[in-house]
Amino acid sequence: MSGRGWRNAGRLWLGLVLLFLYLPIAVMAAMSLNASPFYQLPFEFSWRWYDDLAGNRQLQRAAWTSIWIALATAAIATALGTAAAVALHRGPRGRRVLEALLFPPIAVPWLITGTAMLVFFFLVGIGRGNGAVLVGHVALAIPYVVLVVSARLRALDPALEEAARSLGASRWTAFRRVTLPFLAPGVIAGALFAFAVSFDQFVISYFLQAPGQTTLPVEIYAAIRKGFTPEINAVSTLVIGVSMALLLLVARLVRFGDLR
Amino acid sequence: MTRRLAPVAVALAFAAGSAGAAEIRVLNWKGYGTDETWAVEAFERSTGHTVVHDHFNSEQEMLTKLRTNPGAYDVVLINSAYTRQAAEEGLIQPIDTAGMRNVDDLAPDMATNEELNANGALHGVPWVWGVTGFAYDRREFEEAPTSLEVFWDPALKGRVGWRDDALEAVQFAALATGQSINDIEDMQAVRDKLQALMPQLATLWSSENDWNRFMASGDFVVATYWSGSANRSRTNFGLPVEFVVPEEGAIGWLDGLSIPAGSENVEAAKAFIDWMIDPRFYVQWDGEVGAPASANLEAAAALGDQAFNRIVLGNPEAIERIEIMGPVPEETRREYLELWQELKAGL
Amino acid sequence: MRPPPSLRAREARGTAALLAPAYLWLTAAVFVPLAVMLGLSFLTETPFGGRDWAVTLGQYEDALGKPLYRELLRRSLLLAGEVTLWCVVIGWPAAFVLAKVIGPRRRGALFLLTILPFWSNGLVRVFSWAILLRGAGVIDWAVEGLTPLEVEGSLLFTREAVVIGLVHAYLPYVVLTGYLSISAIGDDLLEAARSLGASRWLVFLRVVAPLSLPGVAAGAALVFVPVAGAFMEPRILGGREGTFLGTVIEDQFTAVFNWPFGAALSFVLLAAVLAVLAVSAPAVRAAR
Repeated sequence: MSGRGWRNAGRLWLGLVLLFLYLPIAVMAAMSLNASPFYQLPFEFSWRWYDDLAGNRQLQRAAWTSIWIALATAAIATALGTAAAVALHRGPRGRRVLEALLFPPIAVPWLITGTAMLVFFFLVGIGRGNGAVLVGHVALAIPYVVLVVSARLRALDPALEEAARSLGASRWTAFRRVTLPFLAPGVIAGALFAFAVSFDQFVISYFLQAPGQTTLPVEIYAAIRKGFTPEINAVSTLVIGVSMALLLLVARLVRFGDLR
Repeated sequence: MTRRLAPVAVALAFAAGSAGAAEIRVLNWKGYGTDETWAVEAFERSTGHTVVHDHFNSEQEMLTKLRTNPGAYDVVLINSAYTRQAAEEGLIQPIDTAGMRNVDDLAPDMATNEELNANGALHGVPWVWGVTGFAYDRREFEEAPTSLEVFWDPALKGRVGWRDDALEAVQFAALATGQSINDIEDMQAVRDKLQALMPQLATLWSSENDWNRFMASGDFVVATYWSGSANRSRTNFGLPVEFVVPEEGAIGWLDGLSIPAGSENVEAAKAFIDWMIDPRFYVQWDGEVGAPASANLEAAAALGDQAFNRIVLGNPEAIERIEIMGPVPEETRREYLELWQELKAGL
Repeated sequence: MRPPPSLRAREARGTAALLAPAYLWLTAAVFVPLAVMLGLSFLTETPFGGRDWAVTLGQYEDALGKPLYRELLRRSLLLAGEVTLWCVVIGWPAAFVLAKVIGPRRRGALFLLTILPFWSNGLVRVFSWAILLRGAGVIDWAVEGLTPLEVEGSLLFTREAVVIGLVHAYLPYVVLTGYLSISAIGDDLLEAARSLGASRWLVFLRVVAPLSLPGVAAGAALVFVPVAGAFMEPRILGGREGTFLGTVIEDQFTAVFNWPFGAALSFVLLAAVLAVLAVSAPAVRAAR
């Protein structure tokens, strides 16, 4: 196959992957517009779930709470995680152990970690509430940020920073002008992961939130038990739709496809 | 916010007398009556108290929440099979029913139920009861099934549904092998029966939502289910299902409303419970959404003749076949769980 | 020339300062609670409400000794391995395309679009898969509507459905971490290799693969580790085939009050997962 043939095959592959990734999301969006409460076909168009959503304050509040907590989580976890990744990259003593320690939060089922946090926070007096939820979410997001930024760091050619140093730049300047721009896609990816981890995290939220407070995933999970109406699809579709618009806007403005 | 308000509320309550406005926290399954918007609003308007809900997804979670949040809740829903355990652990307090108007109308055998009256004091006000039997899609059956053996019918292979709950599975198998649910002696028979069941299953369900979806899309045509939920599926979701109390017997359950120890709003909690057992609440709940049977005889009598609960559970012969489930020791629960997990894993 | 001791000491302090916030947070929020759980796993009973308890190795004896749990551990690790394999096979080429084939204008948007599915609610996604995979569902309807074919049977409630659901949920990890390391490979390096006469395949094998391996390996770890303990997809998509170690661990907390055993099972899982990672790490390093 010619060069162009390979490239087109590659584009097709990526296209299929994206199709696969968005298939259930398309279904979710379609079902949010389907009149049947049980996703029955044939399809009957209806706005009723969005109407119901407009009147469902609980769900709306939950969605907003989730968004704020996720934003805070992303900010904090990205800062902490990036710093840790940079430090680990320097190869300090005990690095292997430190890296291994990143896995328990991801490996241990969140139910266990959630119960452990619930009990421990209760014993220590942190109790429950949005603050406790934030503490839990950041803790879960940090390993993702560290692993992702580390992956990017490992691809960095150390010669670049050394060259800058040998030309007289201080360590900090070399870091700022050479390493950091290179890290940017990794840091952004880490931040986006951290947001996702928090936004979709229901187990920890479920255990740590105070009575009366609620986040979106917990609302959804609780609704499952007694009657999952397609309002859930409506709110999820809205979230994805708005996020997509925002992200594409950011992609336009930042043009970080150029950053390599 | 509520932490700062609580002392203020208490102060107000003392200042205004025992009917001061309080914020009560209710712990219950989601969508199970206590959080009906119209009911909460009516209560809030007439008493001035506010109601905040927290939910649980399993009885074990309910107990864990009580254990790790002393004083945080004022009303909690506890199945009678768990009330004694909660009382003995000191999680709930005895209820002095003075001042609760509707208590006198409660069915006597329920009000004096042993499990709800641990240590001789009332720890849970009987609220609703029902049975776990099975329901089927009426379009798929020419003749109404009446026996649990329908689940083992080879013609229905791959089209039956069962709840993913070890205790319930064992209890049903006990009924199917002619044993009492609270006194199972022949576990081998139970195991064999359940083993024979596995190839028949389309899938296992764990929530009402699962059940409704699977039934609506025809994944299964007959499945074990709770009477109150079957009522709801018909009323609220319009599914063409019929509920059956099997010949071999059914698992009865009784849900009670309890007051956690350490609650700071006992009077307000009692007012809320009183409202929950009130016929006016019950009739509207059952009519609009579908509910289990009420423990309040007045409330039950107020239902129309065509009401589901009347027809299915008003039948004395059916009542005979129902055995209310008693408490199960933790060791036994674990034994059943392991058995169930082995069967599910195909071992 | 090595930097003088005072500079090294300063550097070490700097490194420690960078590490401290993250690891202190993790310690307070995760490690200490998990340590409490670890302690619990050596007890006979959950120490609440006046229960009698004693120290024991019994939980681990059961977790490692009873055939049921050994079998479930095996199945869960195999599931995790299979899902990881699919993610790598599908995701690595996709990452390469994203990094090297797509032009810079579109690349940023596509990169973000790949992350976006993470922001949809996991439970809703799994339910959507249930709709897609069930017989007489959307796929059937589409196929039967568009083609003269008739669709038999249903993918739902099978192990395959669980794999599909999990691959879908975790694929972006591999694509993104792969992208992060492949995009760092200089185009000039690739061009140089090609200009020396190497075939495309050889370039991929000897240049791209080794250099992108760390990134892909990190992504693979992010897939393997959580999938081993997954319980949502198995429960909803697997039906009768949906029993794995994750679901059984969940039961210890939701169906019974057996935290010590649930904790023991979790730590056995953790140990197994770390063992797999430890064994594969040298292989990954050797491949470079």
